[in-house]
Amino acid sequence: MLRFLVRRILGAVVILFLLSIVTFLLFFGMPRDPALLMCGKTCNPTSLANIHHVLGLDKSIPEQYWIFLHNLILGSNQFAQGPCPAPCFGYSYHTNDPVWSTMMDRLPTTVSLTLGAAVVFLFVGLGTGMLAAWKRGTMLDKTVTAGSMVISSMQIYFLGPLALAALVYQSHIFDKPAYNDFTADPVTWFTGLIIPWVVLSTIFASQYTRMARSSMIEQLQEEHVRTARAKGMSRRYVFFRYAWRGSLIPIVTIFGIDLGSLLGGAIITEYTFGLPGLGRLAVESVQFSDLPLLLGVMLFSASMILLFNILVDATYAFIDPRVRLA
Amino acid sequence: MDGGPQPDPNTATVKVEGRSPGQLMWIRFKRDRTGVISAFVVAFFFVVAAAAPLISKLYGKNPYTVYADERPELFDSAGVPVQPNGGISSEFWFGLEPGNGYDVFTKLIYGIRTSLLISLAVTVAVVLTGILLGVTAGYLGGKTDFFIGRLIDFLLAFPSQLFFIASMPVVVSLFVSPRDETPTYVRVVALIVVQWVLGWMSLARILRGTTLALREREFIEAAKVSGASPWRIIRREILPNVVTPLLVQATYILPSFVTIEAGLSFLGVGIVEPTPDWGQMFSKASTELVLQNDITYMFFPGVSMVVFVVAFNLLGDSVRDAFDPKTAR
Repeated sequence: MLRFLVRRILGAVVILFLLSIVTFLLFFGMPRDPALLMCGKTCNPTSLANIHHVLGLDKSIPEQYWIFLHNLILGSNQFAQGPCPAPCFGYSYHTNDPVWSTMMDRLPTTVSLTLGAAVVFLFVGLGTGMLAAWKRGTMLDKTVTAGSMVISSMQIYFLGPLALAALVYQSHIFDKPAYNDFTADPVTWFTGLIIPWVVLSTIFASQYTRMARSSMIEQLQEEHVRTARAKGMSRRYVFFRYAWRGSLIPIVTIFGIDLGSLLGGAIITEYTFGLPGLGRLAVESVQFSDLPLLLGVMLFSASMILLFNILVDATYAFIDPRVRLA
Repeated sequence: MDGGPQPDPNTATVKVEGRSPGQLMWIRFKRDRTGVISAFVVAFFFVVAAAAPLISKLYGKNPYTVYADERPELFDSAGVPVQPNGGISSEFWFGLEPGNGYDVFTKLIYGIRTSLLISLAVTVAVVLTGILLGVTAGYLGGKTDFFIGRLIDFLLAFPSQLFFIASMPVVVSLFVSPRDETPTYVRVVALIVVQWVLGWMSLARILRGTTLALREREFIEAAKVSGASPWRIIRREILPNVVTPLLVQATYILPSFVTIEAGLSFLGVGIVEPTPDWGQMFSKASTELVLQNDITYMFFPGVSMVVFVVAFNLLGDSVRDAFDPKTAR
């Protein structure tokens, strides 16, 4: 187990390192000069060069990359805005705020959105999927299958505005979705996120319903399940004790991938509902050619994806004893 | 689905006759009612997309006319169509777009045309890359396999949407200088490129696995012993055997590229006005003007896309079942 973790974490670090290089190069390929955006109306070549110097953009790209790595690992006192302890992504070009604390400010929104929706869609999705598999071939199963097929083909950018129009703009049942701090007021935190949760989990739950149903049906045809039935165990016992566990394996994989990518910033959901999470931050960083912010969000999102990949593989060993981690 | 081999009309009367796997698949597919219906729906979308200029000519309008200027009497001061239900009338079948007042019907069919063109191009590029890298990795094994495998791992760790958004302006700037206006074809090419770069990995992985399993089979060994070159083995022995997973995967990935492309246009980094695009209609539909005054508008891109994706996924399931009738449903 330990060897597995060390190996996978080292692999993840290498990937993050390469990703930071790609992001760096991508930034220098961007057509917009961030200094020009900061320079404003009274811009002349000297003030532009001055800003370039302050941002460190006058150095060569490898040199800038080296400084970035150095600051990330060791922190830095070189910034005019103040000291920047590790992990130091520097200061945003656009807002002048430290990148790390900006990301940490935005993170609760994304985490609330993702985890709130994940709890709902996992339980609802697995529940209806298992029910459909249990009642396979009945009217109920057919309704669930058809319904989940249609809903899972909907997109957040369709269902989201539809929910907003119906619940906010036309009937005024809810206020516009917004993020309020949980610790300040749990009630407004909850009401502000209801619509995004419902929309996000409706789409995901329908996908999980489909997966759970087909995975369960596949498991029920496995030999160990047949043997258990032949030994005289009840259908219920076999279903909930034998098949259920095996059917979780593909679902855990997808759940890990979904959770990782949502935690790295649910860009379209946050954009649709105007929630100030990491996804919105990412879009802003591209809009303003904000390299420190872009690097920060990109690496954070990728770390989430990698972290959940490792967690998924580690979870396999618990669900399925045949899997050995190496 | 017109490319499949036609079954011999005499098969029913002839006693025993060998059928190729392709023929068997076609026979099974034709028996699947859901599959046939969804194939027709999917074909309908492609026909509409291909014939969009013809249809709008017969209909007498184009998606670029700003009716808010041409026919101001149709709109109120906010730019919302005066007539109920988004201005649907015998003249404007799907109504008028709030704001600029484009004709929704032509805008939708041209939008579908743009989206399908892009997604089809991405799918073709992804399939070719997937075959090339997946089959190579699986057949050659060893170091090649290792490097391609690591490349796949690396690209899979990319936060894809974020990467799309960040790289779109970069790819665009490769073609035009930032001071010039970006022509639409550049945006189309850029959308194809970015989706292609992060789109091929899952297919390549599947093909690698299939090839790896095939490599150990006797008929490949027989071909090797008889002195066939690697190129010949790949072309004549392996490729025909990966067609099944390839076709099944391709029918699943195409609709996903449609929704990804629409998502990018929704975020404002894909196709922009006045070029019609499916996804860009969603971004129009999520503006406050529409949400407040004219919900009818959002149903046209929304419902058509749901129908398209559902039909395509059902088609994918049917194709898979036709190839592999043993899978549980």
